[in-house]
Amino acid sequence: MTTPPPGSDPLIKNTSYKVVLPFYVYAALAFLVGCILLFTSSGAFTQHYFHPHTIAITHIMALGWGTMMVLGAGHQLLPVVIEGKLYSDTLAWLSFVFAAVGIPLLVFAFYHFNMGWPAQYGGILVNIAIVCYLVNVAASMMKSSNENVHAVFVFTATLWLLLTTTLGLVLVYNFTYTFLPKDSLQYFSLHAHLGIGGWFLLMVVGVGTRLLPMFLISKYTNPRRLWLMYGLINAALILFIITHVYLQQKNAYLFAVISVLSGFILFAIYLCTAYRQRIRKQLDEQMKVSFLSVLIMVVPLMILVITMVMMLMGQQLPRLVLVYGFTIFLGWITAIIFGMTFKTLPFIVWNKVYQSKAGLAKTPHPKDLFSRKIFIAMSIAYLVGFVLFIAGILVSIGWLLKIAAAFLVAAAMLYNWNVFKIVLHQSKNV
Amino acid sequence: MNVITNDQLRCTIALAVLQDVMDPEIGLSVVDLGLIYQIDFEEANRQLYVSMTLTTQFCPMGASIVAAVKRAMENTFTHYTVIVTLTFTPPWNNERISEAGSAFLNQ
Repeated sequence: MTTPPPGSDPLIKNTSYKVVLPFYVYAALAFLVGCILLFTSSGAFTQHYFHPHTIAITHIMALGWGTMMVLGAGHQLLPVVIEGKLYSDTLAWLSFVFAAVGIPLLVFAFYHFNMGWPAQYGGILVNIAIVCYLVNVAASMMKSSNENVHAVFVFTATLWLLLTTTLGLVLVYNFTYTFLPKDSLQYFSLHAHLGIGGWFLLMVVGVGTRLLPMFLISKYTNPRRLWLMYGLINAALILFIITHVYLQQKNAYLFAVISVLSGFILFAIYLCTAYRQRIRKQLDEQMKVSFLSVLIMVVPLMILVITMVMMLMGQQLPRLVLVYGFTIFLGWITAIIFGMTFKTLPFIVWNKVYQSKAGLAKTPHPKDLFSRKIFIAMSIAYLVGFVLFIAGILVSIGWLLKIAAAFLVAAAMLYNWNVFKIVLHQSKNV
Repeated sequence: MNVITNDQLRCTIALAVLQDVMDPEIGLSVVDLGLIYQIDFEEANRQLYVSMTLTTQFCPMGASIVAAVKRAMENTFTHYTVIVTLTFTPPWNNERISEAGSAFLNQ
Protein backbone atom coordinates (compact mmCIF):
# COMPACT_ATOMS: atom_id res chain seq x y z
CA MET A 1 0.00 0.00 0.00
CA THR A 2 1.26 3.47 -0.86
CA THR A 3 0.84 5.86 2.02
CA PRO A 4 1.23 9.62 1.95
CA PRO A 5 4.22 11.07 3.79
CA PRO A 6 3.66 11.66 7.54
CA GLY A 7 1.87 14.89 8.31
CA SER A 8 0.66 15.44 4.78
CA ASP A 9 -2.94 15.21 3.67
CA PRO A 10 -3.39 15.16 -0.08
CA LEU A 11 -7.08 16.04 0.12
CA ILE A 12 -8.25 19.55 -0.65
CA LYS A 13 -9.93 21.12 2.42
CA ASN A 14 -13.10 22.74 1.20
CA THR A 15 -14.15 26.08 2.62
CA SER A 16 -17.39 25.94 4.62
CA TYR A 17 -20.54 26.60 2.61
CA LYS A 18 -21.61 29.01 5.37
CA VAL A 19 -18.79 31.33 4.33
CA VAL A 20 -19.30 31.07 0.59
CA LEU A 21 -23.08 31.04 0.02
CA PRO A 22 -23.75 34.62 1.22
CA PHE A 23 -21.39 35.94 -1.48
CA TYR A 24 -23.21 33.99 -4.21
CA VAL A 25 -26.66 35.12 -3.02
CA TYR A 26 -25.56 38.75 -2.67
CA ALA A 27 -23.98 38.74 -6.13
CA ALA A 28 -27.11 37.24 -7.70
CA LEU A 29 -29.33 39.90 -6.12
CA ALA A 30 -26.88 42.67 -7.05
CA PHE A 31 -26.98 41.47 -10.66
CA LEU A 32 -30.77 41.67 -10.65
CA VAL A 33 -30.72 45.17 -9.12
CA GLY A 34 -28.03 46.21 -11.63
CA CYS A 35 -30.12 45.00 -14.57
CA ILE A 36 -33.23 46.74 -13.22
CA LEU A 37 -31.20 49.96 -12.93
CA LEU A 38 -30.00 49.37 -16.48
CA PHE A 39 -33.66 49.18 -17.54
CA THR A 40 -34.82 52.26 -15.62
CA SER A 41 -31.73 54.30 -16.59
CA SER A 42 -31.19 53.01 -20.12
CA GLY A 43 -31.38 56.60 -21.40
CA ALA A 44 -28.07 57.32 -19.66
CA PHE A 45 -26.37 55.13 -22.25
CA THR A 46 -27.22 57.61 -25.00
CA GLN A 47 -25.15 60.24 -23.16
CA HIS A 48 -21.52 60.66 -22.04
CA TYR A 49 -20.09 57.72 -20.08
CA PHE A 50 -19.47 59.94 -17.04
CA HIS A 51 -23.16 59.99 -16.14
CA PRO A 52 -24.16 59.36 -12.48
CA HIS A 53 -26.47 56.48 -13.41
CA THR A 54 -23.86 54.86 -15.66
CA ILE A 55 -21.26 55.12 -12.88
CA ALA A 56 -23.72 53.66 -10.35
CA ILE A 57 -24.58 50.75 -12.69
CA THR A 58 -20.88 50.16 -13.45
CA HIS A 59 -20.12 49.94 -9.72
CA ILE A 60 -22.99 47.63 -8.87
CA MET A 61 -21.84 45.38 -11.74
CA ALA A 62 -18.12 45.60 -10.91
CA LEU A 63 -18.43 45.34 -7.13
CA GLY A 64 -21.83 43.90 -6.23
CA TRP A 65 -21.93 41.38 -9.08
CA GLY A 66 -18.41 40.71 -10.34
CA THR A 67 -16.30 41.23 -7.23
CA MET A 68 -18.72 39.65 -4.74
CA MET A 69 -18.99 36.59 -6.97
CA VAL A 70 -15.21 36.39 -7.43
CA LEU A 71 -14.72 36.79 -3.67
CA GLY A 72 -17.25 34.03 -2.97
CA ALA A 73 -15.82 31.67 -5.56
CA GLY A 74 -12.34 32.82 -4.48
CA HIS A 75 -12.90 31.71 -0.90
CA GLN A 76 -14.28 28.40 -2.18
CA LEU A 77 -11.57 27.76 -4.76
CA LEU A 78 -8.58 29.12 -2.86
CA PRO A 79 -7.84 25.68 -1.36
CA VAL A 80 -7.85 24.25 -4.91
CA VAL A 81 -5.53 26.98 -6.15
CA ILE A 82 -3.04 27.06 -3.26
CA GLU A 83 -3.35 23.33 -2.53
CA GLY A 84 -4.01 24.14 1.11
CA LYS A 85 -6.74 25.43 3.42
CA LEU A 86 -8.43 28.82 3.79
CA TYR A 87 -6.70 30.60 6.68
CA SER A 88 -9.72 32.15 8.38
CA ASP A 89 -13.50 31.84 8.06
CA THR A 90 -13.87 34.91 10.30
CA LEU A 91 -11.89 37.09 7.89
CA ALA A 92 -14.03 35.76 5.04
CA TRP A 93 -17.16 36.73 6.99
CA LEU A 94 -15.78 40.19 7.77
CA SER A 95 -14.92 40.61 4.12
CA PHE A 96 -18.53 39.83 3.21
CA VAL A 97 -20.12 42.08 5.84
CA PHE A 98 -17.98 45.14 5.07
CA ALA A 99 -18.46 44.78 1.31
CA ALA A 100 -22.18 44.03 1.66
CA VAL A 101 -22.73 47.29 3.57
CA GLY A 102 -20.23 49.39 1.62
CA ILE A 103 -21.36 48.58 -1.93
CA PRO A 104 -24.98 49.85 -1.64
CA LEU A 105 -23.73 53.05 0.01
CA LEU A 106 -21.32 53.64 -2.88
CA VAL A 107 -23.90 52.84 -5.55
CA PHE A 108 -26.51 55.08 -3.89
CA ALA A 109 -23.97 57.91 -3.70
CA PHE A 110 -22.96 57.57 -7.37
CA TYR A 111 -26.58 57.33 -8.53
CA HIS A 112 -27.34 60.68 -6.86
CA PHE A 113 -23.80 61.96 -7.48
CA ASN A 114 -23.41 62.77 -3.81
CA MET A 115 -19.74 62.43 -2.91
CA GLY A 116 -20.45 63.11 0.77
CA TRP A 117 -20.59 60.55 3.56
CA PRO A 118 -22.35 57.68 1.70
CA ALA A 119 -19.61 57.55 -0.93
CA GLN A 120 -16.84 58.10 1.60
CA TYR A 121 -18.04 55.53 4.14
CA GLY A 122 -19.03 53.13 1.37
CA GLY A 123 -15.53 53.39 -0.12
CA ILE A 124 -13.88 52.89 3.29
CA LEU A 125 -15.97 49.79 4.01
CA VAL A 126 -15.22 48.27 0.59
CA ASN A 127 -11.49 48.86 1.17
CA ILE A 128 -11.65 47.18 4.60
CA ALA A 129 -13.40 44.20 2.96
CA ILE A 130 -10.61 43.91 0.38
CA VAL A 131 -7.91 44.15 3.07
CA CYS A 132 -9.63 41.26 4.95
CA TYR A 133 -9.60 39.18 1.77
CA LEU A 134 -5.99 40.06 0.97
CA VAL A 135 -4.84 39.10 4.48
CA ASN A 136 -6.79 35.84 4.21
CA VAL A 137 -5.23 35.00 0.82
CA ALA A 138 -1.70 35.91 2.01
CA ALA A 139 -2.01 33.94 5.27
CA SER A 140 -3.51 30.93 3.44
CA MET A 141 -0.62 30.97 0.96
CA MET A 142 1.96 31.24 3.75
CA LYS A 143 0.43 28.25 5.56
CA SER A 144 0.41 26.17 2.39
CA SER A 145 3.64 24.38 1.62
CA ASN A 146 2.91 24.27 -2.10
CA GLU A 147 3.57 27.44 -4.04
CA ASN A 148 2.37 27.66 -7.58
CA VAL A 149 1.78 30.20 -10.29
CA HIS A 150 -2.02 30.12 -9.90
CA ALA A 151 -1.74 31.22 -6.27
CA VAL A 152 0.58 34.07 -7.30
CA PHE A 153 -2.03 35.18 -9.85
CA VAL A 154 -4.72 35.27 -7.16
CA PHE A 155 -2.56 37.17 -4.69
CA THR A 156 -1.39 39.72 -7.27
CA ALA A 157 -4.94 40.20 -8.56
CA THR A 158 -6.08 41.00 -5.01
CA LEU A 159 -3.23 43.51 -4.65
CA TRP A 160 -4.40 45.23 -7.84
CA LEU A 161 -7.95 45.21 -6.50
CA LEU A 162 -6.81 46.95 -3.33
CA LEU A 163 -4.94 49.50 -5.43
CA THR A 164 -8.09 50.03 -7.53
CA THR A 165 -10.41 50.52 -4.56
CA THR A 166 -7.86 52.72 -2.76
CA LEU A 167 -7.58 54.94 -5.83
CA GLY A 168 -11.39 54.95 -6.04
CA LEU A 169 -11.61 56.15 -2.44
CA VAL A 170 -8.99 58.84 -3.09
CA LEU A 171 -11.03 60.02 -6.10
CA VAL A 172 -14.19 60.19 -3.98
CA TYR A 173 -12.43 62.43 -1.45
CA ASN A 174 -10.83 64.45 -4.25
CA PHE A 175 -14.30 65.46 -5.41
CA THR A 176 -14.84 67.25 -2.08
CA TYR A 177 -11.31 68.20 -0.97
CA THR A 178 -9.36 68.74 -4.18
CA PHE A 179 -5.79 67.65 -3.50
CA LEU A 180 -4.77 65.71 -6.63
CA PRO A 181 -2.91 67.63 -9.36
CA LYS A 182 -5.64 66.80 -11.91
CA ASP A 183 -9.40 66.51 -11.44
CA SER A 184 -10.89 63.11 -10.55
CA LEU A 185 -12.19 62.50 -14.08
CA GLN A 186 -8.60 62.37 -15.35
CA TYR A 187 -7.90 59.37 -13.12
CA PHE A 188 -11.11 57.58 -14.04
CA SER A 189 -9.53 55.53 -16.82
CA LEU A 190 -6.62 54.53 -14.55
CA HIS A 191 -9.03 53.43 -11.79
CA ALA A 192 -11.13 51.44 -14.28
CA HIS A 193 -8.20 49.68 -15.98
CA LEU A 194 -6.48 48.68 -12.75
CA GLY A 195 -9.73 46.97 -11.80
CA ILE A 196 -10.42 45.39 -15.18
CA GLY A 197 -6.88 44.26 -16.00
CA GLY A 198 -5.39 43.86 -12.54
CA TRP A 199 -8.31 42.34 -10.69
CA PHE A 200 -10.66 40.65 -13.14
CA LEU A 201 -8.26 39.67 -15.95
CA LEU A 202 -5.48 38.35 -13.70
CA MET A 203 -8.03 36.48 -11.56
CA VAL A 204 -9.82 34.93 -14.55
CA VAL A 205 -6.54 33.88 -16.18
CA GLY A 206 -5.03 32.55 -12.93
CA VAL A 207 -8.08 30.60 -11.78
CA GLY A 208 -9.44 29.77 -15.24
CA THR A 209 -6.25 28.05 -16.33
CA ARG A 210 -6.61 25.71 -13.38
CA LEU A 211 -10.37 25.18 -13.34
CA LEU A 212 -11.26 24.86 -17.02
CA PRO A 213 -8.71 22.06 -17.71
CA MET A 214 -9.92 20.36 -14.51
CA PHE A 215 -13.56 20.43 -15.65
CA LEU A 216 -12.51 19.17 -19.11
CA ILE A 217 -10.45 16.40 -17.46
CA SER A 218 -7.44 17.66 -19.37
CA LYS A 219 -3.96 16.92 -18.15
CA TYR A 220 -2.51 19.94 -19.94
CA THR A 221 -0.43 22.27 -17.81
CA ASN A 222 2.34 24.70 -18.77
CA PRO A 223 3.67 26.78 -15.86
CA ARG A 224 6.19 28.57 -18.10
CA ARG A 225 3.45 29.87 -20.35
CA LEU A 226 1.44 30.86 -17.27
CA TRP A 227 4.36 32.87 -15.89
CA LEU A 228 4.68 34.56 -19.27
CA MET A 229 0.99 35.56 -19.20
CA TYR A 230 1.47 36.81 -15.66
CA GLY A 231 4.45 38.92 -16.71
CA LEU A 232 2.73 40.34 -19.79
CA ILE A 233 -0.49 41.37 -18.02
CA ASN A 234 1.37 42.94 -15.10
CA ALA A 235 3.81 44.68 -17.44
CA ALA A 236 0.82 46.10 -19.35
CA LEU A 237 -0.65 47.48 -16.13
CA ILE A 238 2.64 49.02 -14.99
CA LEU A 239 3.23 50.55 -18.45
CA PHE A 240 -0.32 51.92 -18.38
CA ILE A 241 0.23 53.58 -14.98
CA ILE A 242 3.58 55.08 -16.01
CA THR A 243 2.12 56.42 -19.26
CA HIS A 244 -1.00 57.76 -17.60
CA VAL A 245 0.69 59.47 -14.68
CA TYR A 246 4.12 60.50 -15.95
CA LEU A 247 4.24 60.56 -19.76
CA GLN A 248 2.58 63.05 -22.03
CA GLN A 249 2.95 61.02 -25.27
CA LYS A 250 -0.21 59.06 -25.82
CA ASN A 251 1.48 56.61 -28.21
CA ALA A 252 3.23 55.09 -25.17
CA TYR A 253 -0.13 53.44 -24.36
CA LEU A 254 0.50 51.26 -27.39
CA PHE A 255 3.10 49.20 -25.48
CA ALA A 256 0.59 48.50 -22.71
CA VAL A 257 -2.06 47.46 -25.25
CA ILE A 258 0.39 45.16 -27.10
CA SER A 259 1.47 43.60 -23.81
CA VAL A 260 -2.07 42.84 -22.59
CA LEU A 261 -3.09 41.56 -26.05
CA SER A 262 -0.12 39.18 -26.05
CA GLY A 263 -1.13 37.95 -22.58
CA PHE A 264 -4.69 37.35 -23.75
CA ILE A 265 -3.56 35.49 -26.89
CA LEU A 266 -1.41 33.20 -24.74
CA PHE A 267 -4.42 32.63 -22.46
CA ALA A 268 -6.59 31.70 -25.45
CA ILE A 269 -3.88 29.34 -26.78
CA TYR A 270 -3.58 27.75 -23.33
CA LEU A 271 -7.32 27.06 -23.15
CA CYS A 272 -7.39 25.75 -26.75
CA THR A 273 -4.56 23.33 -25.97
CA ALA A 274 -6.31 22.15 -22.80
CA TYR A 275 -9.51 21.75 -24.83
CA ARG A 276 -7.79 19.68 -27.52
CA GLN A 277 -6.22 17.40 -24.90
CA ARG A 278 -9.45 16.87 -22.96
CA ILE A 279 -10.64 13.41 -22.02
CA ARG A 280 -14.26 14.44 -21.61
CA LYS A 281 -15.42 15.11 -25.16
CA GLN A 282 -18.84 16.65 -24.59
CA LEU A 283 -19.12 20.12 -23.10
CA ASP A 284 -22.05 20.95 -20.87
CA GLU A 285 -23.90 24.28 -21.25
CA GLN A 286 -21.99 25.87 -18.36
CA MET A 287 -18.65 25.13 -20.03
CA LYS A 288 -19.94 26.42 -23.38
CA VAL A 289 -20.94 29.73 -21.75
CA SER A 290 -17.54 29.89 -20.00
CA PHE A 291 -15.73 29.46 -23.32
CA LEU A 292 -18.10 32.00 -24.88
CA SER A 293 -16.90 34.50 -22.28
CA VAL A 294 -13.35 34.10 -23.61
CA LEU A 295 -14.68 34.89 -27.11
CA ILE A 296 -16.57 37.91 -25.78
CA MET A 297 -13.27 39.17 -24.34
CA VAL A 298 -12.11 39.72 -27.90
CA VAL A 299 -14.72 42.52 -28.32
CA PRO A 300 -13.39 44.92 -25.64
CA LEU A 301 -9.83 44.12 -26.69
CA MET A 302 -10.66 45.05 -30.29
CA ILE A 303 -12.34 48.24 -29.07
CA LEU A 304 -9.23 48.98 -27.01
CA VAL A 305 -7.10 48.75 -30.16
CA ILE A 306 -9.55 50.88 -32.21
CA THR A 307 -9.79 53.50 -29.43
CA MET A 308 -5.99 53.53 -29.22
CA VAL A 309 -5.62 54.13 -32.96
CA MET A 310 -8.34 56.80 -32.95
CA MET A 311 -6.70 58.50 -29.98
CA LEU A 312 -3.37 58.58 -31.82
CA MET A 313 -5.22 60.19 -34.74
CA GLY A 314 -6.58 62.81 -32.34
CA GLN A 315 -10.17 61.56 -32.34
CA GLN A 316 -12.37 60.43 -29.46
CA LEU A 317 -15.30 58.03 -29.60
CA PRO A 318 -17.25 58.28 -26.32
CA ARG A 319 -19.90 55.79 -27.48
CA LEU A 320 -17.20 53.22 -28.14
CA VAL A 321 -16.00 53.77 -24.57
CA LEU A 322 -19.52 52.92 -23.36
CA VAL A 323 -19.56 49.76 -25.50
CA TYR A 324 -16.10 48.91 -24.16
CA GLY A 325 -17.26 49.10 -20.53
CA PHE A 326 -20.53 47.32 -21.30
CA THR A 327 -18.85 44.39 -23.08
CA ILE A 328 -16.47 43.98 -20.15
CA PHE A 329 -18.97 44.02 -17.29
CA LEU A 330 -22.16 42.75 -18.93
CA GLY A 331 -20.27 40.67 -21.49
CA TRP A 332 -17.04 38.99 -20.51
CA ILE A 333 -17.43 39.08 -16.70
CA THR A 334 -21.14 38.22 -16.72
CA ALA A 335 -20.69 35.29 -19.12
CA ILE A 336 -17.84 33.74 -17.12
CA ILE A 337 -19.87 34.14 -13.92
CA PHE A 338 -22.92 32.53 -15.55
CA GLY A 339 -20.81 29.53 -16.56
CA MET A 340 -18.84 29.16 -13.36
CA THR A 341 -21.78 29.73 -10.98
CA PHE A 342 -23.44 26.57 -12.22
CA LYS A 343 -20.14 24.70 -12.17
CA THR A 344 -19.30 25.59 -8.56
CA LEU A 345 -22.51 26.42 -6.64
CA PRO A 346 -24.22 23.02 -7.18
CA PHE A 347 -21.12 21.29 -5.75
CA ILE A 348 -21.03 23.52 -2.69
CA VAL A 349 -24.69 22.75 -1.94
CA TRP A 350 -24.34 19.08 -2.94
CA ASN A 351 -21.48 18.73 -0.45
CA LYS A 352 -23.62 20.37 2.23
CA VAL A 353 -26.69 18.19 1.62
CA TYR A 354 -25.42 14.85 0.32
CA GLN A 355 -21.80 14.41 1.41
CA SER A 356 -22.79 12.28 4.41
CA LYS A 357 -25.09 10.14 2.24
CA ALA A 358 -22.80 9.43 -0.70
CA GLY A 359 -21.66 5.83 -0.77
CA LEU A 360 -24.71 4.54 1.08
CA ALA A 361 -27.29 5.07 -1.65
CA LYS A 362 -27.72 6.79 -4.98
CA THR A 363 -27.66 10.56 -4.65
CA PRO A 364 -28.65 13.15 -7.26
CA HIS A 365 -25.84 14.62 -9.36
CA PRO A 366 -24.88 18.22 -8.56
CA LYS A 367 -26.14 19.21 -12.03
CA ASP A 368 -29.61 17.96 -11.00
CA LEU A 369 -29.81 20.71 -8.38
CA PHE A 370 -30.65 23.37 -10.98
CA SER A 371 -32.85 23.47 -14.05
CA ARG A 372 -31.08 23.05 -17.37
CA LYS A 373 -34.09 24.56 -19.17
CA ILE A 374 -33.95 27.71 -17.05
CA PHE A 375 -30.20 27.91 -17.68
CA ILE A 376 -30.71 27.71 -21.46
CA ALA A 377 -33.57 30.27 -21.35
CA MET A 378 -31.32 32.56 -19.28
CA SER A 379 -28.46 32.20 -21.77
CA ILE A 380 -30.73 33.05 -24.72
CA ALA A 381 -32.29 36.08 -22.96
CA TYR A 382 -28.83 37.24 -21.99
CA LEU A 383 -27.31 36.92 -25.47
CA VAL A 384 -30.26 38.72 -27.12
CA GLY A 385 -30.14 41.51 -24.51
CA PHE A 386 -26.36 41.80 -24.77
CA VAL A 387 -26.28 42.15 -28.57
CA LEU A 388 -29.29 44.52 -28.67
CA PHE A 389 -27.82 46.73 -25.95
CA ILE A 390 -24.55 47.14 -27.85
CA ALA A 391 -26.55 48.02 -30.97
CA GLY A 392 -28.61 50.47 -28.87
CA ILE A 393 -25.49 52.24 -27.60
CA LEU A 394 -23.93 52.44 -31.07
CA VAL A 395 -27.03 53.85 -32.79
CA SER A 396 -28.13 55.73 -29.63
CA ILE A 397 -31.77 54.67 -29.76
CA GLY A 398 -33.57 54.81 -26.40
CA TRP A 399 -36.32 52.26 -27.10
CA LEU A 400 -33.80 49.72 -28.37
CA LEU A 401 -31.80 50.10 -25.16
CA LYS A 402 -35.02 49.66 -23.15
CA ILE A 403 -35.94 46.42 -24.97
CA ALA A 404 -32.38 45.11 -24.59
CA ALA A 405 -32.36 45.95 -20.87
CA ALA A 406 -35.71 44.12 -20.49
CA PHE A 407 -34.05 40.96 -21.90
CA LEU A 408 -31.18 41.42 -19.45
CA VAL A 409 -33.63 41.81 -16.53
CA ALA A 410 -35.29 38.57 -17.69
CA ALA A 411 -31.87 36.87 -17.78
CA ALA A 412 -31.11 38.15 -14.26
CA MET A 413 -34.45 36.87 -12.97
CA LEU A 414 -33.87 33.43 -14.50
CA TYR A 415 -30.34 33.40 -13.08
CA ASN A 416 -31.70 34.21 -9.60
CA TRP A 417 -34.40 31.57 -9.98
CA ASN A 418 -31.78 28.88 -10.61
CA VAL A 419 -29.40 30.18 -7.92
CA PHE A 420 -32.14 30.12 -5.27
CA LYS A 421 -33.28 26.71 -6.52
CA ILE A 422 -29.79 25.42 -5.70
CA VAL A 423 -29.26 27.32 -2.46
CA LEU A 424 -32.64 26.26 -1.04
CA HIS A 425 -32.27 22.64 -2.18
CA GLN A 426 -33.38 20.12 0.45
CA SER A 427 -32.26 16.52 0.65
CA LYS A 428 -34.31 14.19 -1.51
CA ASN A 429 -35.08 10.74 -0.14
CA VAL A 430 -32.15 8.54 -1.10
CA MET B 1 -8.65 -0.61 -14.91
CA ASN B 2 -6.60 -3.33 -13.21
CA VAL B 3 -7.15 -3.50 -9.47
CA ILE B 4 -4.52 -5.27 -7.40
CA THR B 5 -5.95 -7.54 -4.71
CA ASN B 6 -5.16 -10.48 -2.47
CA ASP B 7 -8.75 -11.76 -2.59
CA GLN B 8 -10.25 -11.83 -6.07
CA LEU B 9 -13.73 -12.94 -5.02
CA ARG B 10 -14.32 -10.28 -2.37
CA CYS B 11 -12.62 -7.67 -4.56
CA THR B 12 -15.24 -8.37 -7.24
CA ILE B 13 -17.98 -7.78 -4.65
CA ALA B 14 -16.28 -4.59 -3.48
CA LEU B 15 -16.00 -3.27 -7.05
CA ALA B 16 -19.65 -4.07 -7.72
CA VAL B 17 -20.60 -2.01 -4.65
CA LEU B 18 -18.24 0.82 -5.66
CA GLN B 19 -20.03 1.05 -9.03
CA ASP B 20 -22.58 3.11 -7.10
CA VAL B 21 -19.98 5.56 -5.80
CA MET B 22 -19.83 8.36 -8.32
CA ASP B 23 -17.49 11.22 -9.09
CA PRO B 24 -20.29 13.80 -8.85
CA GLU B 25 -18.71 16.18 -11.37
CA ILE B 26 -18.05 13.62 -14.10
CA GLY B 27 -21.06 11.41 -13.45
CA LEU B 28 -19.03 8.19 -13.65
CA SER B 29 -18.37 5.65 -10.92
CA VAL B 30 -14.98 5.48 -9.22
CA VAL B 31 -14.63 1.99 -10.73
CA ASP B 32 -15.30 3.04 -14.33
CA LEU B 33 -12.96 5.99 -13.89
CA GLY B 34 -10.24 3.60 -12.72
CA LEU B 35 -9.70 5.47 -9.45
CA ILE B 36 -9.35 2.26 -7.39
CA TYR B 37 -5.76 0.94 -7.40
CA GLN B 38 -5.80 -1.79 -4.80
CA ILE B 39 -8.17 -3.64 -2.45
CA ASP B 40 -6.62 -5.92 0.18
CA PHE B 41 -8.23 -7.90 2.97
CA GLU B 42 -6.14 -8.60 6.06
CA GLU B 43 -7.73 -11.39 8.05
CA ALA B 44 -5.49 -11.18 11.13
CA ASN B 45 -6.68 -7.65 12.06
CA ARG B 46 -9.98 -7.83 10.14
CA GLN B 47 -8.91 -4.81 8.09
CA LEU B 48 -9.83 -3.83 4.55
CA TYR B 49 -7.36 -1.58 2.73
CA VAL B 50 -8.41 0.48 -0.27
CA SER B 51 -5.83 2.44 -2.21
CA MET B 52 -7.31 4.95 -4.60
CA THR B 53 -6.58 8.12 -6.52
CA LEU B 54 -8.45 11.09 -8.02
CA THR B 55 -8.48 12.41 -11.59
CA THR B 56 -6.69 15.51 -10.29
CA GLN B 57 -4.93 16.28 -7.05
CA PHE B 58 -6.88 19.55 -6.83
CA CYS B 59 -10.30 17.91 -7.02
CA PRO B 60 -12.61 19.89 -4.71
CA MET B 61 -14.84 16.82 -4.41
CA GLY B 62 -11.95 14.60 -3.31
CA ALA B 63 -12.90 14.45 0.38
CA SER B 64 -16.47 13.59 -0.54
CA ILE B 65 -15.45 10.80 -2.94
CA VAL B 66 -12.99 9.23 -0.49
CA ALA B 67 -15.57 9.38 2.33
CA ALA B 68 -18.18 7.78 0.06
CA VAL B 69 -15.80 4.90 -0.83
CA LYS B 70 -15.08 4.31 2.87
CA ARG B 71 -18.78 4.40 3.76
CA ALA B 72 -19.72 1.99 0.95
CA MET B 73 -17.04 -0.51 2.06
CA GLU B 74 -18.00 -0.23 5.75
CA ASN B 75 -21.61 -0.81 4.83
CA THR B 76 -20.76 -3.96 2.84
CA PHE B 77 -17.94 -5.53 4.83
CA THR B 78 -19.37 -4.83 8.25
CA HIS B 79 -16.87 -6.95 10.18
CA TYR B 80 -13.85 -5.14 8.77
CA THR B 81 -12.19 -1.88 9.69
CA VAL B 82 -11.91 0.03 6.43
CA ILE B 83 -8.80 2.08 5.74
CA VAL B 84 -8.87 4.19 2.56
CA THR B 85 -5.57 5.63 1.38
CA LEU B 86 -5.35 8.32 -1.25
CA THR B 87 -2.30 8.24 -3.48
CA PHE B 88 -1.11 10.10 -6.54
CA THR B 89 1.71 7.66 -7.28
CA PRO B 90 1.30 6.64 -10.02
CA PRO B 91 -0.83 9.55 -11.20
CA TRP B 92 -4.20 8.73 -12.72
CA ASN B 93 -4.39 8.66 -16.51
CA ASN B 94 -7.15 8.02 -19.01
CA GLU B 95 -5.89 4.48 -19.79
CA ARG B 96 -7.42 3.44 -16.49
CA ILE B 97 -10.94 4.32 -17.63
CA SER B 98 -13.15 1.30 -18.37
CA GLU B 99 -14.66 0.72 -21.82
CA ALA B 100 -18.07 1.81 -20.55
CA GLY B 101 -16.49 4.89 -19.01
CA SER B 102 -14.67 5.76 -22.24
CA ALA B 103 -17.89 5.39 -24.21
CA PHE B 104 -19.64 7.71 -21.73
CA LEU B 105 -16.91 10.36 -21.93
CA ASN B 106 -16.68 10.16 -25.73
CA GLN B 107 -20.42 10.72 -26.18
